Amino acid sequence: MASALTSTFNRYMELVGDQVVFTGRFAKNIFRGGFEWGEFVRQCFIVGYLSVGLVGITGFIIGFVLTLQTQPTLKEFGAESYVPGMVSISIIREIGPVIIALICAGKIASSIGAELGSMKVTEQIDAMEVSAANPVQYLVVTRILACTIMVPLLTIMADALAMAGGWVGVNVQDNVSATLFFRKSFAALEFSDVVPSVVKTFFFGYAIGFVGCYKGYHSSRGTESVGRAANSAVVSASLWIILIDAVAVQITNLIYY
Amino acid sequence: MDDTLVQEKNTATATDEEVVIRIEHLKKSFGDNEVLKDINLELHKGENIVVLGRSGQGKSVTIQCIAGLLEPDEGKLEVLGKEVRELSSEELKEMRMKLGFLFQSGALYDSMTVRENLAFPLTRVLKMTDEAEIEKRVTDVLASVGLEDAIDKLPSDLSGGMRKRVGLARTLIMRPAIMLYDEPTTGLDPITSREISELIIQLQEKYETSSIIITHDMNCARIVADRIVVMNDGKYIATGTYDELANSPDELINNFFK
Ligand SMILES: Nc1ncnc2c1ncn2[C@@H]1O[C@H](COP(=O)(O)OP(=O)(O)O)[C@@H](O)[C@H]1O
Ligand SMILES: [Mg+2]
Repeated sequence: MASALTSTFNRYMELVGDQVVFTGRFAKNIFRGGFEWGEFVRQCFIVGYLSVGLVGITGFIIGFVLTLQTQPTLKEFGAESYVPGMVSISIIREIGPVIIALICAGKIASSIGAELGSMKVTEQIDAMEVSAANPVQYLVVTRILACTIMVPLLTIMADALAMAGGWVGVNVQDNVSATLFFRKSFAALEFSDVVPSVVKTFFFGYAIGFVGCYKGYHSSRGTESVGRAANSAVVSASLWIILIDAVAVQITNLIYY
Repeated sequence: MDDTLVQEKNTATATDEEVVIRIEHLKKSFGDNEVLKDINLELHKGENIVVLGRSGQGKSVTIQCIAGLLEPDEGKLEVLGKEVRELSSEELKEMRMKLGFLFQSGALYDSMTVRENLAFPLTRVLKMTDEAEIEKRVTDVLASVGLEDAIDKLPSDLSGGMRKRVGLARTLIMRPAIMLYDEPTTGLDPITSREISELIIQLQEKYETSSIIITHDMNCARIVADRIVVMNDGKYIATGTYDELANSPDELINNFFK
Protein backbone atom coordinates (compact mmCIF):
# COMPACT_ATOMS: atom_id res chain seq x y z
CA MET A 1 0.00 0.00 0.00
CA ALA A 2 2.69 2.45 1.06
CA SER A 3 4.90 1.44 -1.82
CA ALA A 4 2.03 1.83 -4.25
CA LEU A 5 1.52 5.31 -2.90
CA THR A 6 5.16 6.28 -3.19
CA SER A 7 5.39 4.91 -6.70
CA THR A 8 2.29 6.87 -7.72
CA PHE A 9 3.79 9.93 -6.10
CA ASN A 10 7.12 9.38 -7.87
CA ARG A 11 5.43 8.95 -11.21
CA TYR A 12 3.48 12.13 -10.60
CA MET A 13 6.61 14.06 -9.68
CA GLU A 14 8.35 12.73 -12.77
CA LEU A 15 5.48 14.04 -14.86
CA VAL A 16 5.68 17.43 -13.19
CA GLY A 17 9.45 17.44 -13.75
CA ASP A 18 9.02 16.55 -17.43
CA GLN A 19 6.51 19.35 -17.86
CA VAL A 20 8.82 21.86 -16.22
CA VAL A 21 11.65 20.79 -18.55
CA PHE A 22 9.33 21.04 -21.53
CA THR A 23 8.23 24.53 -20.46
CA GLY A 24 11.89 25.51 -20.20
CA ARG A 25 12.62 24.24 -23.71
CA PHE A 26 9.61 26.14 -25.02
CA ALA A 27 10.65 29.37 -23.30
CA LYS A 28 14.28 29.09 -24.38
CA ASN A 29 13.29 28.55 -28.00
CA ILE A 30 10.98 31.54 -28.29
CA PHE A 31 13.87 33.97 -28.16
CA ARG A 32 16.53 31.85 -29.82
CA GLY A 33 16.27 33.60 -33.17
CA GLY A 34 15.08 32.05 -36.40
CA PHE A 35 11.44 32.28 -35.31
CA GLU A 36 9.30 30.20 -37.66
CA TRP A 37 6.97 32.91 -38.94
CA GLY A 38 5.58 30.86 -41.79
CA GLU A 39 4.61 27.95 -39.58
CA PHE A 40 3.29 30.33 -36.90
CA VAL A 41 0.94 32.01 -39.38
CA ARG A 42 -0.18 28.64 -40.69
CA GLN A 43 -0.96 27.51 -37.14
CA CYS A 44 -2.86 30.72 -36.40
CA PHE A 45 -4.94 29.98 -39.47
CA ILE A 46 -5.59 26.39 -38.40
CA VAL A 47 -6.24 27.17 -34.74
CA GLY A 48 -8.11 30.42 -35.27
CA TYR A 49 -9.76 30.70 -38.62
CA LEU A 50 -10.81 27.06 -38.87
CA SER A 51 -12.52 27.30 -35.47
CA VAL A 52 -14.53 30.43 -36.28
CA GLY A 53 -17.63 28.52 -37.39
CA LEU A 54 -17.86 26.22 -34.39
CA VAL A 55 -17.03 28.90 -31.85
CA GLY A 56 -19.30 31.49 -33.49
CA ILE A 57 -22.35 29.25 -33.60
CA THR A 58 -21.76 28.13 -30.02
CA GLY A 59 -21.45 31.73 -28.82
CA PHE A 60 -24.61 32.86 -30.54
CA ILE A 61 -26.66 29.98 -29.20
CA ILE A 62 -25.39 30.41 -25.64
CA GLY A 63 -26.54 34.03 -25.62
CA PHE A 64 -29.86 33.15 -27.23
CA VAL A 65 -30.66 30.31 -24.84
CA LEU A 66 -29.49 32.17 -21.76
CA THR A 67 -31.90 35.01 -22.57
CA LEU A 68 -34.83 32.77 -23.29
CA GLN A 69 -34.32 30.98 -19.99
CA THR A 70 -33.87 33.99 -17.74
CA GLN A 71 -36.33 36.41 -19.30
CA PRO A 72 -39.55 34.80 -17.92
CA THR A 73 -38.16 34.70 -14.37
CA LEU A 74 -37.02 38.30 -14.42
CA LYS A 75 -40.34 39.29 -15.94
CA GLU A 76 -42.19 37.83 -12.97
CA PHE A 77 -40.44 40.38 -10.78
CA GLY A 78 -40.97 43.13 -13.30
CA ALA A 79 -37.25 43.24 -13.83
CA GLU A 80 -37.00 42.47 -17.52
CA SER A 81 -34.99 45.63 -18.05
CA TYR A 82 -32.15 43.79 -16.31
CA VAL A 83 -32.02 41.09 -18.98
CA PRO A 84 -29.31 42.75 -21.15
CA GLY A 85 -27.08 43.45 -18.16
CA MET A 86 -27.52 39.97 -16.78
CA VAL A 87 -26.71 38.40 -20.12
CA SER A 88 -23.64 40.53 -20.75
CA ILE A 89 -22.17 40.08 -17.28
CA SER A 90 -22.62 36.34 -17.15
CA ILE A 91 -21.38 35.81 -20.70
CA ILE A 92 -18.33 38.04 -20.49
CA ARG A 93 -17.22 37.14 -17.02
CA GLU A 94 -17.66 33.42 -16.99
CA ILE A 95 -19.71 31.53 -19.52
CA GLY A 96 -18.05 32.83 -22.68
CA PRO A 97 -14.41 32.27 -21.74
CA VAL A 98 -14.90 28.91 -20.07
CA ILE A 99 -17.22 27.31 -22.62
CA ILE A 100 -15.19 28.54 -25.57
CA ALA A 101 -11.97 27.34 -23.93
CA LEU A 102 -13.49 23.92 -23.29
CA ILE A 103 -14.66 23.71 -26.89
CA CYS A 104 -11.18 24.69 -28.05
CA ALA A 105 -9.69 22.04 -25.78
CA GLY A 106 -11.85 19.49 -27.57
CA LYS A 107 -11.08 20.74 -31.04
CA ILE A 108 -7.55 22.15 -30.87
CA ALA A 109 -5.73 20.33 -28.07
CA SER A 110 -6.85 17.00 -29.48
CA SER A 111 -5.74 17.78 -32.99
CA ILE A 112 -2.35 19.08 -31.87
CA GLY A 113 -1.93 16.01 -29.65
CA ALA A 114 -2.81 13.69 -32.50
CA GLU A 115 -0.67 15.53 -35.04
CA LEU A 116 2.49 15.65 -32.95
CA GLY A 117 1.78 12.16 -31.63
CA SER A 118 1.70 10.74 -35.11
CA MET A 119 4.82 12.69 -36.05
CA LYS A 120 6.53 11.17 -33.03
CA VAL A 121 5.39 7.64 -33.83
CA THR A 122 6.41 7.86 -37.48
CA GLU A 123 9.82 9.18 -36.40
CA GLN A 124 9.34 12.58 -38.04
CA ILE A 125 10.31 14.38 -34.85
CA ASP A 126 13.43 12.21 -34.50
CA ALA A 127 14.23 12.92 -38.14
CA MET A 128 14.02 16.65 -37.51
CA GLU A 129 16.27 16.26 -34.53
CA VAL A 130 18.98 14.22 -36.27
CA SER A 131 18.98 16.59 -39.21
CA ALA A 132 20.16 19.16 -36.61
CA ALA A 133 17.00 21.20 -37.12
CA ASN A 134 15.08 22.20 -34.01
CA PRO A 135 11.72 20.44 -33.66
CA VAL A 136 10.74 22.37 -30.52
CA GLN A 137 11.17 25.65 -32.31
CA TYR A 138 9.38 24.54 -35.44
CA LEU A 139 6.54 22.49 -33.95
CA VAL A 140 6.04 23.48 -30.33
CA VAL A 141 6.77 27.20 -30.10
CA THR A 142 4.58 28.00 -33.10
CA ARG A 143 1.63 25.96 -31.88
CA ILE A 144 1.66 27.18 -28.29
CA LEU A 145 1.94 30.82 -29.32
CA ALA A 146 -0.77 30.44 -31.95
CA CYS A 147 -3.14 29.03 -29.31
CA THR A 148 -2.19 31.70 -26.77
CA ILE A 149 -3.14 34.41 -29.24
CA MET A 150 -6.06 32.86 -31.10
CA VAL A 151 -8.10 31.53 -28.17
CA PRO A 152 -8.60 35.04 -26.70
CA LEU A 153 -9.59 36.38 -30.12
CA LEU A 154 -12.04 33.53 -30.61
CA THR A 155 -13.48 34.20 -27.16
CA ILE A 156 -13.97 37.89 -27.87
CA MET A 157 -15.73 37.03 -31.10
CA ALA A 158 -17.92 34.47 -29.33
CA ASP A 159 -18.80 36.98 -26.60
CA ALA A 160 -19.93 39.49 -29.21
CA LEU A 161 -22.03 36.89 -31.00
CA ALA A 162 -23.49 35.75 -27.68
CA MET A 163 -24.72 39.28 -27.04
CA ALA A 164 -26.23 39.35 -30.50
CA GLY A 165 -27.87 36.02 -29.67
CA GLY A 166 -29.21 37.59 -26.49
CA TRP A 167 -30.76 40.43 -28.42
CA VAL A 168 -32.42 38.00 -30.83
CA GLY A 169 -33.66 36.02 -27.80
CA VAL A 170 -35.29 39.07 -26.22
CA ASN A 171 -37.02 39.84 -29.48
CA VAL A 172 -38.70 36.46 -29.61
CA GLN A 173 -41.26 37.78 -27.12
CA ASP A 174 -40.66 41.47 -26.77
CA ASN A 175 -39.66 44.18 -29.13
CA VAL A 176 -36.40 45.78 -28.04
CA SER A 177 -34.24 47.85 -30.36
CA ALA A 178 -30.65 46.78 -30.84
CA THR A 179 -29.40 50.18 -29.70
CA LEU A 180 -31.27 49.97 -26.42
CA PHE A 181 -30.24 46.36 -25.79
CA PHE A 182 -26.55 46.94 -26.39
CA ARG A 183 -26.50 50.26 -24.51
CA LYS A 184 -27.95 48.52 -21.47
CA SER A 185 -25.58 45.58 -21.85
CA PHE A 186 -22.51 47.75 -21.90
CA ALA A 187 -23.76 50.01 -19.12
CA ALA A 188 -23.87 47.02 -16.80
CA LEU A 189 -20.27 46.04 -17.54
CA GLU A 190 -17.36 47.36 -15.58
CA PHE A 191 -13.66 47.39 -16.19
CA SER A 192 -13.26 44.71 -13.54
CA ASP A 193 -15.59 42.43 -15.52
CA VAL A 194 -13.84 42.74 -18.86
CA VAL A 195 -10.11 42.87 -18.20
CA PRO A 196 -9.63 39.84 -15.91
CA SER A 197 -11.80 37.70 -18.14
CA VAL A 198 -9.78 38.61 -21.21
CA VAL A 199 -6.53 38.04 -19.36
CA LYS A 200 -7.53 34.57 -18.28
CA THR A 201 -8.32 33.53 -21.84
CA PHE A 202 -4.63 33.96 -22.69
CA PHE A 203 -3.86 31.42 -19.99
CA PHE A 204 -6.56 29.12 -21.34
CA GLY A 205 -5.01 29.38 -24.79
CA TYR A 206 -1.55 28.69 -23.45
CA ALA A 207 -2.81 25.66 -21.51
CA ILE A 208 -4.52 24.25 -24.62
CA GLY A 209 -1.41 24.65 -26.76
CA PHE A 210 0.98 23.44 -24.10
CA VAL A 211 -0.98 20.33 -23.15
CA GLY A 212 -1.59 19.40 -26.79
CA CYS A 213 2.09 19.73 -27.63
CA TYR A 214 3.31 18.03 -24.46
CA LYS A 215 1.05 15.00 -24.87
CA GLY A 216 1.85 14.65 -28.56
CA TYR A 217 5.57 15.18 -28.20
CA HIS A 218 5.83 12.66 -25.38
CA SER A 219 3.57 9.99 -26.76
CA SER A 220 5.12 6.55 -26.57
CA ARG A 221 5.90 4.16 -29.39
CA GLY A 222 3.15 2.35 -31.29
CA THR A 223 0.20 3.70 -33.24
CA GLU A 224 -2.34 3.32 -30.44
CA SER A 225 -0.46 5.96 -28.48
CA VAL A 226 -1.57 8.60 -31.02
CA GLY A 227 -5.19 8.16 -29.96
CA ARG A 228 -4.15 8.14 -26.34
CA ALA A 229 -2.20 11.39 -26.80
CA ALA A 230 -5.20 13.10 -28.40
CA ASN A 231 -7.56 11.86 -25.73
CA SER A 232 -5.42 12.72 -22.73
CA ALA A 233 -4.68 16.12 -24.25
CA VAL A 234 -8.41 16.94 -24.14
CA VAL A 235 -8.84 15.61 -20.62
CA SER A 236 -5.87 17.46 -19.13
CA ALA A 237 -6.47 20.66 -21.05
CA SER A 238 -10.08 20.74 -19.79
CA LEU A 239 -8.93 20.16 -16.24
CA TRP A 240 -6.35 22.90 -16.53
CA ILE A 241 -8.97 25.31 -17.83
CA ILE A 242 -11.25 24.69 -14.85
CA LEU A 243 -8.33 25.03 -12.44
CA ILE A 244 -7.07 28.25 -14.02
CA ASP A 245 -10.61 29.60 -13.90
CA ALA A 246 -10.89 28.87 -10.18
CA VAL A 247 -7.58 30.55 -9.48
CA ALA A 248 -8.46 33.53 -11.70
CA VAL A 249 -11.64 34.17 -9.68
CA GLN A 250 -9.66 34.33 -6.46
CA ILE A 251 -7.08 36.67 -7.92
CA THR A 252 -9.72 38.95 -9.43
CA ASN A 253 -11.55 39.15 -6.11
CA LEU A 254 -8.33 39.97 -4.28
CA ILE A 255 -7.51 42.77 -6.67
CA TYR A 256 -10.89 44.41 -7.11
CA TYR A 257 -12.87 43.84 -3.92
CA MET B 1 30.97 25.20 -51.98
CA ASP B 2 31.08 21.44 -52.51
CA ASP B 3 34.83 21.20 -52.19
CA THR B 4 35.02 23.08 -48.93
CA LEU B 5 32.42 20.76 -47.43
CA VAL B 6 34.36 17.69 -48.47
CA GLN B 7 37.55 19.16 -47.12
CA GLU B 8 35.95 19.92 -43.80
CA LYS B 9 34.89 16.32 -43.57
CA ASN B 10 38.36 15.08 -44.32
CA THR B 11 39.99 17.10 -41.57
CA ALA B 12 37.33 15.98 -39.12
CA THR B 13 37.84 12.31 -39.87
CA ALA B 14 41.61 12.46 -40.15
CA THR B 15 41.93 13.06 -36.41
CA ASP B 16 41.37 9.43 -35.57
CA GLU B 17 43.17 7.28 -38.12
CA GLU B 18 40.24 6.75 -40.40
CA VAL B 19 37.95 5.32 -37.72
CA VAL B 20 34.75 7.33 -37.97
CA ILE B 21 32.70 5.47 -35.38
CA ARG B 22 34.19 3.61 -32.44
CA ILE B 23 31.93 1.72 -30.05
CA GLU B 24 33.27 -0.15 -27.02
CA HIS B 25 31.29 -2.12 -24.43
CA LEU B 26 28.14 -0.17 -25.12
CA LYS B 27 25.19 -0.96 -22.82
CA LYS B 28 21.60 0.23 -22.88
CA SER B 29 18.54 -0.89 -20.91
CA PHE B 30 14.95 0.28 -20.81
CA GLY B 31 13.81 -0.44 -17.27
CA ASP B 32 14.31 -4.18 -16.81
CA ASN B 33 14.72 -4.77 -20.51
CA GLU B 34 18.47 -5.11 -21.15
CA VAL B 35 18.65 -4.42 -24.86
CA LEU B 36 22.31 -3.73 -25.59
CA LYS B 37 24.62 -5.82 -23.42
CA ASP B 38 28.06 -5.40 -24.92
CA ILE B 39 28.37 -3.81 -28.32
CA ASN B 40 31.80 -3.31 -29.92
CA LEU B 41 32.28 -1.90 -33.40
CA GLU B 42 34.67 0.14 -35.49
CA LEU B 43 33.49 1.76 -38.67
CA HIS B 44 36.31 2.85 -40.96
CA LYS B 45 36.21 5.66 -43.44
CA GLY B 46 34.57 4.65 -46.70
CA GLU B 47 33.38 1.33 -45.31
CA ASN B 48 29.88 -0.18 -45.52
CA ILE B 49 28.96 -2.33 -42.54
CA VAL B 50 25.76 -4.35 -42.62
CA VAL B 51 24.18 -5.31 -39.30
CA LEU B 52 22.06 -8.46 -39.35
CA GLY B 53 19.84 -9.65 -36.55
CA ARG B 54 16.32 -10.77 -35.78
CA SER B 55 13.62 -8.22 -34.89
CA GLY B 56 13.75 -6.66 -31.46
CA GLN B 57 17.46 -7.31 -30.96
CA GLY B 58 18.31 -3.64 -30.51
CA LYS B 59 19.71 -2.82 -33.94
CA SER B 60 17.71 0.37 -34.18
CA VAL B 61 18.56 1.25 -30.59
CA THR B 62 22.27 1.04 -31.46
CA ILE B 63 22.10 3.54 -34.28
CA GLN B 64 19.76 5.78 -32.29
CA CYS B 65 22.49 5.92 -29.64
CA ILE B 66 25.02 6.85 -32.33
CA ALA B 67 22.83 9.71 -33.50
CA GLY B 68 22.34 10.94 -29.94
CA LEU B 69 18.61 10.19 -29.95
CA LEU B 70 19.00 7.77 -27.06
CA GLU B 71 21.53 7.97 -24.28
CA PRO B 72 23.53 4.80 -23.62
CA ASP B 73 23.99 3.64 -20.01
CA GLU B 74 27.63 2.65 -20.23
CA GLY B 75 30.51 2.29 -22.64
CA LYS B 76 32.42 4.30 -25.15
CA LEU B 77 30.75 5.79 -28.20
CA GLU B 78 32.89 8.00 -30.40
CA VAL B 79 31.73 9.59 -33.62
CA LEU B 80 34.37 11.36 -35.71
CA GLY B 81 36.75 11.23 -32.77
CA LYS B 82 34.43 12.71 -30.16
CA GLU B 83 32.54 11.00 -27.36
CA VAL B 84 28.86 11.55 -28.15
CA ARG B 85 27.68 11.79 -24.56
CA GLU B 86 30.12 14.58 -23.75
CA LEU B 87 29.07 16.84 -26.60
CA SER B 88 27.52 20.21 -25.81
CA SER B 89 24.31 20.94 -27.64
CA GLU B 90 26.21 23.02 -30.20
CA GLU B 91 28.75 20.22 -30.78
CA LEU B 92 25.94 17.70 -31.03
CA LYS B 93 24.35 19.84 -33.70
CA GLU B 94 27.64 19.98 -35.61
CA MET B 95 28.05 16.23 -35.32
CA ARG B 96 24.52 15.66 -36.60
CA MET B 97 25.19 17.84 -39.61
CA LYS B 98 27.79 15.26 -40.66
CA LEU B 99 25.46 12.37 -39.99
CA GLY B 100 22.68 11.11 -42.22
CA PHE B 101 19.93 8.91 -40.80
CA LEU B 102 17.48 7.07 -43.03
CA PHE B 103 14.53 5.99 -40.91
CA GLN B 104 12.73 2.73 -41.50
CA SER B 105 9.51 4.54 -42.44
CA GLY B 106 11.31 7.27 -44.39
CA ALA B 107 9.98 9.74 -41.78
CA LEU B 108 9.04 12.33 -44.41
CA TYR B 109 7.33 15.41 -42.99
CA ASP B 110 3.83 14.63 -44.15
CA SER B 111 2.47 18.17 -44.12
CA MET B 112 5.17 19.30 -46.56
CA THR B 113 5.73 18.64 -50.26
CA VAL B 114 8.84 16.82 -51.41
CA ARG B 115 10.47 20.15 -52.24
CA GLU B 116 9.75 21.54 -48.77
CA ASN B 117 10.97 18.32 -47.16
CA LEU B 118 14.30 18.63 -48.94
CA ALA B 119 14.65 22.37 -48.40
CA PHE B 120 13.88 22.05 -44.67
CA PRO B 121 17.41 21.21 -43.50
CA LEU B 122 18.92 23.69 -45.95
CA THR B 123 16.97 26.66 -44.64
CA ARG B 124 16.88 25.59 -40.98
CA VAL B 125 20.36 24.17 -40.47
CA LEU B 126 22.58 25.65 -43.16
CA LYS B 127 20.52 28.89 -43.01
CA MET B 128 20.52 29.14 -46.79
CA THR B 129 18.40 31.99 -48.11
CA ASP B 130 19.22 32.09 -51.82
CA GLU B 131 16.12 30.57 -53.46
CA ALA B 132 17.91 29.70 -56.68
CA GLU B 133 20.69 27.86 -54.87
CA ILE B 134 18.20 25.93 -52.72
CA GLU B 135 16.23 24.97 -55.80
CA LYS B 136 19.39 23.79 -57.50
CA ARG B 137 20.46 21.59 -54.61
CA VAL B 138 16.96 20.15 -54.29
CA THR B 139 16.71 19.28 -57.98
CA ASP B 140 20.27 17.91 -58.06
CA VAL B 141 19.74 15.55 -55.17
CA LEU B 142 16.34 14.46 -56.49
CA ALA B 143 17.99 13.67 -59.80
CA SER B 144 20.59 11.55 -58.06
CA VAL B 145 17.82 9.39 -56.53
CA GLY B 146 15.88 9.45 -59.82
CA LEU B 147 12.77 11.32 -58.66
CA GLU B 148 12.76 14.69 -60.45
CA ASP B 149 9.06 14.37 -61.25
CA ALA B 150 7.91 14.02 -57.66
CA ILE B 151 9.10 17.43 -56.51
CA ASP B 152 5.66 18.93 -55.90
CA LYS B 153 4.01 15.82 -54.51
CA LEU B 154 3.01 15.23 -50.91
CA PRO B 155 4.48 12.20 -49.14
CA SER B 156 1.02 10.61 -48.99
CA ASP B 157 1.00 10.46 -52.80
CA LEU B 158 4.26 8.53 -53.00
CA SER B 159 4.81 4.77 -53.05
CA GLY B 160 6.93 3.07 -50.40
CA GLY B 161 9.99 2.95 -52.62
CA MET B 162 9.63 6.59 -53.59
CA ARG B 163 9.33 7.60 -49.93
CA LYS B 164 12.58 5.79 -49.17
CA ARG B 165 14.25 7.59 -52.05
CA VAL B 166 13.02 10.98 -50.90
CA GLY B 167 14.12 10.17 -47.33
CA LEU B 168 17.51 9.27 -48.72
CA ALA B 169 17.64 12.47 -50.74
CA ARG B 170 16.73 14.51 -47.67
CA THR B 171 19.69 13.16 -45.72
CA LEU B 172 22.10 13.31 -48.67
CA ILE B 173 21.32 16.94 -49.35
CA MET B 174 23.35 17.74 -46.22
CA ARG B 175 26.37 15.86 -47.68
CA PRO B 176 26.89 13.66 -44.62
CA ALA B 177 30.18 11.91 -43.90
CA ILE B 178 28.41 8.99 -42.23
CA MET B 179 25.11 7.37 -43.20
CA LEU B 180 22.98 5.24 -40.89
CA TYR B 181 20.34 3.19 -42.71
CA ASP B 182 17.56 1.55 -40.72
CA GLU B 183 16.15 -1.27 -42.84
CA PRO B 184 16.29 0.60 -46.15
CA THR B 185 14.59 -2.16 -48.13
CA THR B 186 12.08 -3.61 -45.68
CA GLY B 187 8.54 -3.59 -47.02
CA LEU B 188 9.59 -3.10 -50.63
CA ASP B 189 9.15 -5.49 -53.51
CA PRO B 190 12.28 -7.37 -54.66
CA ILE B 191 12.89 -5.20 -57.70
CA THR B 192 12.59 -1.92 -55.82
CA SER B 193 14.74 -3.38 -53.01
CA ARG B 194 17.43 -4.13 -55.50
CA GLU B 195 17.21 -0.63 -56.96
CA ILE B 196 17.52 0.93 -53.51
CA SER B 197 20.50 -1.28 -52.65
CA GLU B 198 22.25 -0.27 -55.84
CA LEU B 199 21.40 3.34 -55.16
CA ILE B 200 23.07 3.07 -51.75
CA ILE B 201 26.26 1.89 -53.41
CA GLN B 202 26.16 4.58 -56.10
CA LEU B 203 25.55 7.36 -53.61
CA GLN B 204 28.25 6.04 -51.36
CA GLU B 205 30.72 6.34 -54.21
CA LYS B 206 29.45 9.73 -55.25
CA TYR B 207 29.41 11.29 -51.78
CA GLU B 208 32.23 9.22 -50.20
CA THR B 209 30.25 8.26 -47.13
CA SER B 210 30.85 5.57 -44.54
CA SER B 211 27.71 3.64 -43.64
CA ILE B 212 26.04 1.33 -41.18
CA ILE B 213 23.16 -0.50 -42.80
CA ILE B 214 20.64 -2.47 -40.79
CA THR B 215 18.77 -5.03 -42.83
CA HIS B 216 17.13 -8.45 -42.97
CA ASP B 217 17.39 -8.48 -46.70
CA MET B 218 20.24 -10.77 -47.75
CA ASN B 219 20.23 -9.50 -51.31
CA CYS B 220 20.72 -6.00 -50.01
CA ALA B 221 23.47 -7.23 -47.69
CA ARG B 222 25.26 -8.98 -50.53
CA ILE B 223 25.16 -5.88 -52.72
CA VAL B 224 26.17 -3.25 -50.20
CA ALA B 225 28.29 -4.90 -47.50
CA ASP B 226 32.05 -4.60 -47.20
CA ARG B 227 31.70 -6.32 -43.87
CA ILE B 228 28.77 -7.91 -42.05
CA VAL B 229 28.19 -8.15 -38.32
CA VAL B 230 25.57 -10.43 -36.78
CA MET B 231 23.74 -9.28 -33.69
CA ASN B 232 22.19 -11.60 -31.16
CA ASP B 233 21.14 -11.20 -27.53
CA GLY B 234 22.50 -7.68 -27.19
CA LYS B 235 25.93 -8.48 -28.63
CA TYR B 236 27.65 -8.66 -31.97
CA ILE B 237 28.47 -12.34 -32.22
CA ALA B 238 30.25 -12.55 -35.54
CA THR B 239 31.85 -10.39 -38.16
CA GLY B 240 33.21 -11.05 -41.64
CA THR B 241 32.56 -10.68 -45.33
CA TYR B 242 29.41 -12.03 -46.92
CA ASP B 243 31.13 -15.19 -48.14
CA GLU B 244 32.90 -15.86 -44.86
CA LEU B 245 29.68 -15.70 -42.87
CA ALA B 246 27.67 -17.59 -45.50
CA ASN B 247 29.98 -20.55 -45.00
CA SER B 248 30.05 -20.28 -41.22
CA PRO B 249 29.50 -23.55 -39.35
CA ASP B 250 27.51 -21.70 -36.65
CA GLU B 251 23.83 -22.40 -37.28
CA LEU B 252 22.65 -19.11 -35.78
CA ILE B 253 24.72 -17.22 -38.35
CA ASN B 254 24.13 -19.62 -41.18
CA ASN B 255 20.36 -19.26 -40.81
CA PHE B 256 20.41 -15.73 -42.16
CA PHE B 257 21.91 -16.90 -45.42
CA LYS B 258 19.32 -19.54 -46.24
N1 LIG C 1 12.51 4.23 -26.81
C1 LIG C 1 12.34 3.01 -26.29
N2 LIG C 1 11.77 2.84 -25.09
C2 LIG C 1 11.60 1.62 -24.55
N3 LIG C 1 11.96 0.48 -25.15
C3 LIG C 1 12.52 0.56 -26.36
C4 LIG C 1 12.75 1.83 -27.00
N4 LIG C 1 13.33 1.60 -28.21
C5 LIG C 1 13.46 0.26 -28.31
N5 LIG C 1 12.99 -0.37 -27.21
C6 LIG C 1 13.01 -1.82 -26.99
O1 LIG C 1 14.30 -2.26 -27.35
C7 LIG C 1 14.22 -3.51 -28.01
C8 LIG C 1 14.96 -3.44 -29.32
O2 LIG C 1 14.28 -2.60 -30.21
P1 LIG C 1 14.83 -2.25 -31.66
O3 LIG C 1 16.20 -1.68 -31.56
O4 LIG C 1 13.80 -1.40 -32.32
O5 LIG C 1 14.90 -3.65 -32.38
P2 LIG C 1 15.37 -3.98 -33.86
O6 LIG C 1 16.60 -4.81 -33.71
O7 LIG C 1 14.27 -4.76 -34.49
O8 LIG C 1 15.62 -2.69 -34.56
C9 LIG C 1 12.77 -3.86 -28.14
O9 LIG C 1 12.45 -4.78 -27.13
C10 LIG C 1 12.06 -2.55 -27.89
O10 LIG C 1 10.84 -2.76 -27.26
MG1 LIG D 1 14.48 -1.68 -36.00
